[in-house]
Amino acid sequence: MKPRHLNPEELNQLLDHLAQETCVYAPVKDRTGARWERIKSSADVWLQEVNTAEPAKGFIFPRCEIMLKFDPDGNPVEPEPPAELLLFGIRPCDARAIEILKKFFIGEDRTDPYVRARAEKVTLIGVACNRTAPTCFCLGLGGSPHATTGLDLLLVELGTGYLAQPVTEKGEKLVTTFPPAAERDLETARHLRHQAEAEITTRIDTRTLKEKLPAAYDRPVWQQLALNCINCGVCTFLCPTCHCFDITDETVRGKTVRYRVWDSCQFTLYSRHASGHNPRLDPAARYRNRVMDKFYYTVEQIGEISCVGCGRCIHYCPAGIDIRQTVEQISTETEKTKL
Amino acid sequence: MNPNPYLPLPMRIERVTIENDGRDLKTFDLAFINEADRAGFSFIPGQFAFLSIPGVGEAPFGIASAPHEPLLKFTVKRIGVFTTALHELEPGEVIGMRGPWGNSYPFDLMAGKDVVIISGGFSFTTLRATIAHLLHPENRRRYGRIIAIYGARSPGELLYKEEIRVWEQSPDLQLVLCVDRLNRATWPTREGLVPNVLKEVAPQSDNAIALVCGPPVMLKYTHPVLRELGFQPDQVFLSLENRMKCGIGKCGHCNIGPKYVCKDGPVFSYAQLLNLPPEY
Repeated sequence: MKPRHLNPEELNQLLDHLAQETCVYAPVKDRTGARWERIKSSADVWLQEVNTAEPAKGFIFPRCEIMLKFDPDGNPVEPEPPAELLLFGIRPCDARAIEILKKFFIGEDRTDPYVRARAEKVTLIGVACNRTAPTCFCLGLGGSPHATTGLDLLLVELGTGYLAQPVTEKGEKLVTTFPPAAERDLETARHLRHQAEAEITTRIDTRTLKEKLPAAYDRPVWQQLALNCINCGVCTFLCPTCHCFDITDETVRGKTVRYRVWDSCQFTLYSRHASGHNPRLDPAARYRNRVMDKFYYTVEQIGEISCVGCGRCIHYCPAGIDIRQTVEQISTETEKTKL
Repeated sequence: MNPNPYLPLPMRIERVTIENDGRDLKTFDLAFINEADRAGFSFIPGQFAFLSIPGVGEAPFGIASAPHEPLLKFTVKRIGVFTTALHELEPGEVIGMRGPWGNSYPFDLMAGKDVVIISGGFSFTTLRATIAHLLHPENRRRYGRIIAIYGARSPGELLYKEEIRVWEQSPDLQLVLCVDRLNRATWPTREGLVPNVLKEVAPQSDNAIALVCGPPVMLKYTHPVLRELGFQPDQVFLSLENRMKCGIGKCGHCNIGPKYVCKDGPVFSYAQLLNLPPEY
């Protein structure tokens, strides 16, 4: 698909037009950074942050959603199907995370109809990261600051304008009226990509994790790694691929609704049986479960590591836990005893 | 099949039976309200379903009836918010049901072999379904000897008493009932813990499959006995009951390593479990 060139005014006009026509969400300026908000015009958009505090997963898997309503006779009523939605300014790591979530929820065997309906209605216009944060580590996990996985269209800010790289037909349709990009634009984009990738110096060596992690299950090192963890769950809620949920009923003023809300494997109640028995009573066991899940369990389940290296769990952890160090330490720990 | 796996189907409670002296175990026999739902529903013993009460919530329970039986049976212990609400319901009332979920006991593997069923406490439900299924005239000849050891704390805590009294007399299976304390009761006749009784009964392991379901402490002491009797890990199958919310491998709760109890289980071979973290 042909890359196109848009000057800044053209992009603004396109966004203004889209915001009139459909529901467009984009990062907007927040007290502490950026957050996703519905925009009325291009003027609302704020792309100066490396990323939003919350990932975009909520657009296909909301923090809280109505699964069913019950009529006065107790008959379940399904909610209305979701409307079209366009996300502008999603970063490549978050777009890839949506692709991973789709693999979880829209599997071969059983599909989650709520996530599927939302995923079908969403268009993703990504903006490549020319700058990265010290917590970014998408490289080495199959990502890149300029990756296109999961996107419909990728925009690269060139300084003088934008390079628009369509990924899907849906994305191509949005930019067909603009002139093709010049070779010079492509060259600039390539240069920016190399520059951004060079900024990411911490990497996770994933090649041997599949063997090392199962072997590390019983290691006492987990106690030490999880010592600071207060099991607050922020890493799971802000993780763009964490997908655990709870189902709960609520009756307010006679109206009964069955909700789905995000849940977290870091909570003690999460795994507690009705009998009171809890297979992951130890906080370190819960921390281990999250690390194992990201780097080993999901490889078995959907064929890939479900960490995209966005760095949110590192940045927002109140206890200063760094998942890169955890993985590193587990790797060296298993190496040690092999000798 | 139901396109939305979270949508409960309406079921009418046909019968409620108090099962035990403690009066905290009730059996609910349910009938489909819509004929189309009934026609589209099929299951294999070992599978489970969620029961749903609007405004209260949902919880998963093993299906205690066999596929040929007209009513869908669930035996529920009153232990939390949902089960307390369920225990208050009476015949004629309507509840929701969604399922069946999970795999089943390995009936294909059991064909032509002896089947040894070991159960303790109120986990007997899906094994009751299994026995009823195996004893069905159309199925019985497909299997070898059927030996069932079923134990409870006291005689009053044994489930499905009328039925198991009949089964005790049946030539089609050897049913061994036992209780921790007889307390001067005349039935059943055997006092003892399930693992010890298993040792006494000593079913042979050649060409046999063992199905085990019970509280963790029973499982812990049953495995060594099975091992002594010569049962290999791939001849022993367990049904697990982790906390779960969705039943279709999405909500995350019931994972044991990379496996989900709801989707990959609830029945696992002991050989499988030896390769998984002990998180159940």
